[in-house]
Amino acid sequence: MRKVLIVGAGQAGLQLALTLREHSYDVTVMSARTPEEIRNGRVTSTQCMFHTALQYERDYGLNLWEAETPKVEGLGLSIAAPDNSRALDWMGPLDRYAQSVDQRVKMAAWLELLEDKGGKVIYHGVTTSDVDSLTKHYDLVLIAAGKGELVQLFDRDPERSPYTSKQRALAVSYVHGAPRRPEHPDTYAVRFNVQPGVGELFVIPGYTFSGPCEIPFFEAIPGGPLDAFSDQPPAAEHWSRMLGLMREHFPWEYERFQHAEVTDGQATLAGGYTPVVRQPVGNLPSGGAVLGMADVVVANDPITGQGSNNASKCAAFYAQSIRERGDRPFDREWMRETFERYWEDARHVTDWTNAMLQPPPEHVMNLFGAAQTNETIRRRFVNGFDDPSDFKKWFLPPDLAEEYLASVS
Amino acid sequence: MAAQIETRSLRVRPYAITGGRTRARYQLLVETMISVPRYDPEFSATLLPESHALYEHARRPVSLAELSALLNIPLGVIRVLVSDLAGDERIFVHPTGHSYRYDNTILERILDGLNKLSA
Repeated sequence: MRKVLIVGAGQAGLQLALTLREHSYDVTVMSARTPEEIRNGRVTSTQCMFHTALQYERDYGLNLWEAETPKVEGLGLSIAAPDNSRALDWMGPLDRYAQSVDQRVKMAAWLELLEDKGGKVIYHGVTTSDVDSLTKHYDLVLIAAGKGELVQLFDRDPERSPYTSKQRALAVSYVHGAPRRPEHPDTYAVRFNVQPGVGELFVIPGYTFSGPCEIPFFEAIPGGPLDAFSDQPPAAEHWSRMLGLMREHFPWEYERFQHAEVTDGQATLAGGYTPVVRQPVGNLPSGGAVLGMADVVVANDPITGQGSNNASKCAAFYAQSIRERGDRPFDREWMRETFERYWEDARHVTDWTNAMLQPPPEHVMNLFGAAQTNETIRRRFVNGFDDPSDFKKWFLPPDLAEEYLASVS
Repeated sequence: MAAQIETRSLRVRPYAITGGRTRARYQLLVETMISVPRYDPEFSATLLPESHALYEHARRPVSLAELSALLNIPLGVIRVLVSDLAGDERIFVHPTGHSYRYDNTILERILDGLNKLSA
């Protein structure tokens, strides 16, 4: 039975651990926090997962909240006009629904599930020197802890990392008590609101401890008016500040959320990071090698909502490579090949996400504008969130966008 | 699986699915005591140096704090190695809590291990 050590207990680390357990691997996970600490801790992300990622969970029976979590059946776009009305306002249907389960709910239960399934879980923060002395005890060591000192084991890949600074400042709240969305009251959909020059407001229907909720989420252009949370205010104040900024910059969303409240005292988050792609193999002082996963190696800005999707896809690709390896060694060459296999998929997400951080070019505005009256365009854009490799075929290159627009007009 | 979920009450909280446990199977705290239930010299000889030393020391009950200090291995690493041996039932993890609360000898040894760790 091959022994695998996974450092980090998020979407990628735990999904991989539970997948490998199902195939009888000897799996140990190191988690900095216990299930109780996770449940009582702060929200960690927004995690709207689209069909492909959800299906990876279903394949291994990990979709424990599917019935009670709102089914997200579309994605809407609103772009503000100079007078704060909406220049564009449409919603496109997803072919298959998306869902967002609070990672506090999910990761705490997955840790317990992993132990029930015979996985070993160690609750301990991990240092580089710990990992250094542990590698020889395992056939394979994976680093899936995107925050903390272990990330320093993986060098930034400048060829794949165009940005050298944070492109957005993030502010998230989990809230309940808002009425259904007036634009389409019978359909749950993610809403992507754009205020040019200021930033974006995403709203994701989700599920947390208290039941269904909404997750409004600012993507603030650094130094702009939405970049107002670096003092890390307490939850109630964080949310009332978000509401005030919504009233000013996204008045149509303020109308809906003005009486909503945070779901609990740990339901807000503020932060931000530089988008980066790293080398996948980390080299340890004593000569061992470790393989990086998910946002350890590919950390895109959340503007396209792909972080948890990438984590799930990375876990699925790596599980496949690990199983195909059989009894042969998990050497550096295998590690690089395994990552490149995942990158072949992930690079499309990175290209698209990095493009979306820039002001929309003319061909994109033309597509968004035409989508207002053309459902074919809406549908294709929205379903790209499940398969971002499609964007390079019609959305990102200006010439292909023009051809596409002519073909559907 | 899907059908089963559809019929489940919405009020069933996710942790109910995993049996409602909120604690790890092994409570590997600094003061947790471990010991070898059936010493096996042949098995011991197959272990890597750190696990071998750990296994040998655990022939009599010993705390994680003591092991970490004695063997000069970080506590995080001790926890992983112990968990590994415990998973294969080569090491017994004593229930943590009140079972040895009046045993001054053990309490003193744990304290001694903790002092060495923090030194």
